[in-house]
Amino acid sequence: MKFTETFRSALDGLNANRTRAFLSMLGIIIGIAAVIIIISVTQGSQRSISERIEALGTNLINVSPGIRGGFAGMRARALADLFTLEDGEEILKKASAVKRVVPVINRRLLLQYKDKNAEIVVNGITPDYQEVLNFWVEEGRFIDYRDLKSFRTVIVLGEGVANDLFGDEDPLGQSIVVNGPLSRYKFRVIGVMQSKGRVMFFNFDDQAFIPISTAQKRLFHTKYVQNFSIQAESKETTDEAIEEIDAILYQKFQDDTKYSISSQEQLLSTMSSVMQTFAIMLVGIAGISLLVGGIGIMNIMLVSVTERTREIGIRMAVGAKRVDILLQFLWESVLLCLIGGAVGVSLGWIGSKIIAFIGSRVLPDMGALPTVISPEAILLALGFATAVGLFFGIYPANKASKLDPVEALRYG
Amino acid sequence: MIQAINIKKVYTVGKVEIAALKGISLEIKEGEFVSITGSSGSGKSTLMHILGCLDRPTSGKLFLDDKEVGKLKGNALAEIRNKKIGFVFQQFNLLSRSTAFRNVELPLVYAGVNRRERAERARIALEKVEMAHRLYHRPSELSGGEGQRIAIARALVTKPSLILADEPTGNLDSKTGEGILELFQKLHLQGHTLIVITHERYVSEYAERIIHLKDGLIEQDERRN
Ligand SMILES: Nc1ncnc2c1ncn2[C@@H]1O[C@H](COP(=O)(O)OP(=O)(O)OP(=O)(O)O)[C@@H](O)[C@H]1O
Ligand SMILES: [Mg+2]
Repeated sequence: MKFTETFRSALDGLNANRTRAFLSMLGIIIGIAAVIIIISVTQGSQRSISERIEALGTNLINVSPGIRGGFAGMRARALADLFTLEDGEEILKKASAVKRVVPVINRRLLLQYKDKNAEIVVNGITPDYQEVLNFWVEEGRFIDYRDLKSFRTVIVLGEGVANDLFGDEDPLGQSIVVNGPLSRYKFRVIGVMQSKGRVMFFNFDDQAFIPISTAQKRLFHTKYVQNFSIQAESKETTDEAIEEIDAILYQKFQDDTKYSISSQEQLLSTMSSVMQTFAIMLVGIAGISLLVGGIGIMNIMLVSVTERTREIGIRMAVGAKRVDILLQFLWESVLLCLIGGAVGVSLGWIGSKIIAFIGSRVLPDMGALPTVISPEAILLALGFATAVGLFFGIYPANKASKLDPVEALRYG
Repeated sequence: MIQAINIKKVYTVGKVEIAALKGISLEIKEGEFVSITGSSGSGKSTLMHILGCLDRPTSGKLFLDDKEVGKLKGNALAEIRNKKIGFVFQQFNLLSRSTAFRNVELPLVYAGVNRRERAERARIALEKVEMAHRLYHRPSELSGGEGQRIAIARALVTKPSLILADEPTGNLDSKTGEGILELFQKLHLQGHTLIVITHERYVSEYAERIIHLKDGLIEQDERRN
């Protein structure tokens, strides 16, 4: 018998008992929807993270004090007095694969303008910051070497901060108050950065930049810097640069736990492997629901075979071969799973949109939680559904095809 | 066209062996209208299942159109049922969820006939049983007599060598039953080979030959005119 005819018989079979068909699909629907949601959320966030980190430049290297143990280890690290401006100059001079070095001090400070205020990260940096981070000023100008030399109280605002403090007003040339730990200073706004958005939990637009000399001398009264953002000559020489920097720092500190060097690329691969592990775990859990759904389908198919014993007998009497009966019932279970899978994919798609929406409401600081539904994910889900249908359908279908025609006709 | 030589059928239920047919030999010629009678349990249905290739004899030889079919299995038997045999049952045995048309075309579906030809042949078969006006009714929307006519159309649609009917009037009142038997008569006059199983006297009156079974053996084989 032709393929289309077995298919049609199967459709007739499902059509005859729609409520039951739907109920038996539920497990598959839920399982597939869960798989789609998980894949779309993890793929989406993975993609946006890597896009944004890549936008920072893949030849970026971070040098910071080593992680200290204990509960406040991260904070202790930020406050460690370890590097000086001279260390940065030495790295730039001695490491041939290094192109630029930017020393950075950053602290969370309160900024005020008239009755508005914002508590944000203020970075003390040098003019090279723009090139190294691939993060550029949009209006006005950036910090330059004269600002640095003269310890000027000038500030460049991130786009978000500028909006918060000034709204529609033009921030350029205005004075704002920066509250340091010991003293408050008036700073003149000389520029506003381009918008860069968020990477993970950090919003690039909610920060401000001042000359590092001003930060050291006037705000924090320190000769140390917190860390270095370093640009390698090229993407290919990044590893070489890391080795050179390590050699220089080791010579100075004689202890490689005191400092840590990481490239953007390492960060990227760590993050994506963490995401992947997470996704595989969740998909595994969803797989259990698919398994349960498959067992449900098998159960329903077995009931259906018993119920339709006489139908099977009739078909055999008029000339159906065993394989025709087998295919008819196999088709039925595959169709059940495929339809369930398709419904699951649509529900998963809607679900992931809802999650993205709720995510952006509940956690506005994370930005819109992006979701991606890739064709691969859909194919994977439908393929899986088909496999479940085949696997759990073969036993009932085989049972149907093995019935004895005479007994089947006498049944019921 | 049918030749059965010493057909035996033994059912084994647990440890008990039941001999349903104890050695049946008979020959039926093309175009004959034969009635098989006998009391309940005499082996009529068992014989019909074997003649119709739904079941296989425990021993003995069966020739259909000069071809030995007694030893065939599964797919080969299915093909013979499909091409050469048309069944009519007491309980009609129509697919309850399908229309009359779909029921009638079903054997052609399994024969691999294309859609156009199926429609044409199903229509002709339905016309023969005077049911062309009930194409899209389901069995539940038909009377018993109409249902049995659909079943007969299904048996006719493949132009089989042999039509086998097991108590075709058993579920019908006598007037409707007579209508069905007149239909068989008509088919007989058109040249079809018919075997009708019954235990009702008036049913066998329509046949030109009556084979009477008793306890799995042929007790009497009587020709009439
Ligand atoms: N599948 C089976 N297993 C065991 N015994 C069976 C089976 N089918 C039939 N028999 C036995 O074989 C004998 C003949 O049965 P069969 O159905 O052929 O009788 P019948 O002449 O058609 O009777 P009825 O007029 O009641 O339909 C009976 O004794 C019956 O119990
Ligand atoms: Mg019987």
